[in-house]
Amino acid sequence: MTASFVTVFLPCLLNVVLALFLSPLCEGIMRKLRAAIHSRLGPPITQPYWDLLKLLGKEDLRSTGGVVYASLPALTLGSLLLLATLVPMGTAAPLAFAGDMIVVLYVATMSGVLIMLAGFASASPYASIGSSREMMMLLSVEPILAIALSVGAFKAKTLALGGIVNWQVQNGPSISMAIGGVAFFLALQALAGKLPFDIAEADQEIMGGSLVEQSGPRLALFRWAIWTKQLVFAFLLVEVFFPWPRVGIPLLDLTITMLKVLVVLMLVAVIDVVNPRLRIDQAMGYFMRVAVSSLAALAFAVIGK
Amino acid sequence: MDVIDQRTITTVKEAVAARSDGALLSVTQPHPDTLYFAIDKRAMPAVVDGLVNEMRARFMISVGTDKRPVTGEFAILHLFSLDREHLYILLESPVAEEDLRIASITGVVPGANWAEREYRDAIGVHPEGHPDPRRLLLADDWPEGVYPLRRDFPYNYQPPPAENVRPQLREPPAGASVLPMGPFFPVLEEPAYWRLFVEGETIVGCDTRIFYNHRGIEKLGESVLTYNEIPYLAERICGICGFIHSTCYCQAVEKAAGIEAPRRARYIRTIMLELERIHSHLLWLGIAGHIIGFDTVLMQTWRIREPVMWLCEEISGNRKTYGMNTVGGLRRDLPNQIKPKLMETLAEVEKEAIAVRDAVVGDTTLHARTKGVGVLTNEWAKKICTVGPPARASGVAIDARIDHPYAAYDEVPPQIATQEAGDTWARVLVRVGELLESIRLVREALSAIPEGPICAEIKEEIPPGKVGVSVVEAPRGEAVHFVLTGGDNRPYRWRVRAPTYPNLQALPAMILNETIADVPITLGSLDPCFSCTERLETIDRRTKEVRIYSRADLLEMSRGKARRRGAP
Repeated sequence: MTASFVTVFLPCLLNVVLALFLSPLCEGIMRKLRAAIHSRLGPPITQPYWDLLKLLGKEDLRSTGGVVYASLPALTLGSLLLLATLVPMGTAAPLAFAGDMIVVLYVATMSGVLIMLAGFASASPYASIGSSREMMMLLSVEPILAIALSVGAFKAKTLALGGIVNWQVQNGPSISMAIGGVAFFLALQALAGKLPFDIAEADQEIMGGSLVEQSGPRLALFRWAIWTKQLVFAFLLVEVFFPWPRVGIPLLDLTITMLKVLVVLMLVAVIDVVNPRLRIDQAMGYFMRVAVSSLAALAFAVIGK
Repeated sequence: MDVIDQRTITTVKEAVAARSDGALLSVTQPHPDTLYFAIDKRAMPAVVDGLVNEMRARFMISVGTDKRPVTGEFAILHLFSLDREHLYILLESPVAEEDLRIASITGVVPGANWAEREYRDAIGVHPEGHPDPRRLLLADDWPEGVYPLRRDFPYNYQPPPAENVRPQLREPPAGASVLPMGPFFPVLEEPAYWRLFVEGETIVGCDTRIFYNHRGIEKLGESVLTYNEIPYLAERICGICGFIHSTCYCQAVEKAAGIEAPRRARYIRTIMLELERIHSHLLWLGIAGHIIGFDTVLMQTWRIREPVMWLCEEISGNRKTYGMNTVGGLRRDLPNQIKPKLMETLAEVEKEAIAVRDAVVGDTTLHARTKGVGVLTNEWAKKICTVGPPARASGVAIDARIDHPYAAYDEVPPQIATQEAGDTWARVLVRVGELLESIRLVREALSAIPEGPICAEIKEEIPPGKVGVSVVEAPRGEAVHFVLTGGDNRPYRWRVRAPTYPNLQALPAMILNETIADVPITLGSLDPCFSCTERLETIDRRTKEVRIYSRADLLEMSRGKARRRGAP
């Protein structure tokens, strides 16, 4: 009992706390960078925390009733925290014994589907257009995640994420994993809902899409979920595709990983700032091409590169 | 100023006489560039057809006037422009009170749609055979049969409150659903209601209701204010192109009264008008970027724009709404010592504008969002009588500065650029080109500006019954002011037509079969200005206390709060 508490529960808690409390900070840093490129002073990097606090303190207004609708924000955030325990973040994934890559892929999809449901359930034409766009984005991006992770699985001959990471650490960089990493990074831009792929929210077109009817604490949880999502996926990218250097001292490894995650998120923010929004058909075409190109990674993996 | 060819005048007179089939009542030429025909109303559609289809005249606006106190009848006037010949043609028909109908010309000129609905709402003369006779100008709860621009209607009348009223809007075609855009929507700075009919993401039609903010500015000008007070009201028609409206009004009155503004005043007007175009186009470029999520463009263009605003403040005392114009010239001179600073700022703005242009022109994602999007065909642009950059981007080479030279444009003419594609990208290119051209024009005007008085001396009262038509090329297109002088030191009729008025009417055709994502940028690419179109203003009269905030104070106010939380 005590042993499992130390080896399972504590690392789980660590991952959840990291994901939950670092994600607003990362968002704050991204906003600051955005402001710098805009020639603005920008909000303080702690602003996202204040945003959450303020929203959490507001009245809970709902456009429709029902238990499912009421629980969607918490479920969305919860699904991402569950994902956080399945993803290695500086150390091995704490819940690795409970699920492999396939489970990760399923859990990763959950948050998108839940936000989509929230949109369809909120009975607003903007939200339902946002949700249908979200669905199209999800369908275009999921295959890329699957292909990119499969490359790792193929090379390491295991479906366990921990196994892939270990194989990567031992064998060093390879062409196939590099291509897979780039494809995963492009998908990350869409998963984080950043430009040029913030199509499902598109303030200027559909006023925030799926989340248009959300406010107060519900909006706070959805926002928090989206920020957590970008952080957890950045961790996944860094750990699976670029895990080096690994020194073996947990605290140092964690710090290095977090620095790398920050670099990835900065890149995401820069791409966000220097691009206008694509139309949904253009984005789907783009991801179709990315998916086809990422098949090249699989081909390289087959010939052992 | 270009001399108007006497042969053109003869041709027009003959054409109108032939088409009116004996119904021609009188022909006058109140100003060398203005021909004024009075014809019987039964001949109106035939004459209009002749002008538009044979003479290639461009419809500008209709003016409905309640002339009962003078002639005992109403009058409907259609205003046309022969752009190449630099000529205005006014066709007026008296309409007797016993038979308040006149044949609609919208069948001949689709661009007359709103104009005809507007005079119907304003004075109650019904355009017979109009394809879409729904309300345009008046609010939905405005009582039937009450016409605000009639002379016996008091300017401060308040209609009784009404309940359960709603706009008459069309239903979507079978299989399509409604996506409302407005009356309040993130990319519309002002209220306008676009009811989009969509199948999935594709637009299959739309309906619109605007004029939520009609301010009754024309009525105020005709009933409360005097000639020299109206420029300040005209300037407040629009928050961006205010100087354009005050200039246009002053020019119309000057023309009607035969007053010649001094050369120096004309040059200063030119400089201010072009400065307005520079800051307006930079503003537009930013907003267009924002609409498609490209906020970096917004932030950078507005940063570049700011020194132009400071310059205007230094010249006039205000960033906007300069209050410089008056009938006969200007109230405030352009100080000569500001010239070096003006040149310096222009050089800086030009350098940065070129940098922005190069960044924008080379951005492939931007091409993907604007090329082939929101196409306005050349044919439709002409039919709906669009003006300004949307017209020029569709290959219609009209520009009021060339076609009807005013201010000092006869001596510093602009080079106008046209594009043929008619899509959003073409409108971007046209405006970016104009931005740089305006910088050149200001420079040229500054170096050629003569010394001398800035305001003509007006000794006599302005006689009643005179007509003046004036146009000014605003950043959004041509603004038209029509003035009919009256007694008691104010116009009998003052008609304002902002450029967005015709341009907005082109939108339904431009968004058909496009996707939802393309609607905001297509609308944005018209650079719409609803306050111009509807002429509204709000005033906060709560606080009487005066405190002057400096730029530093305001920055401190906006940043202090953040700083107290520990930001740098």
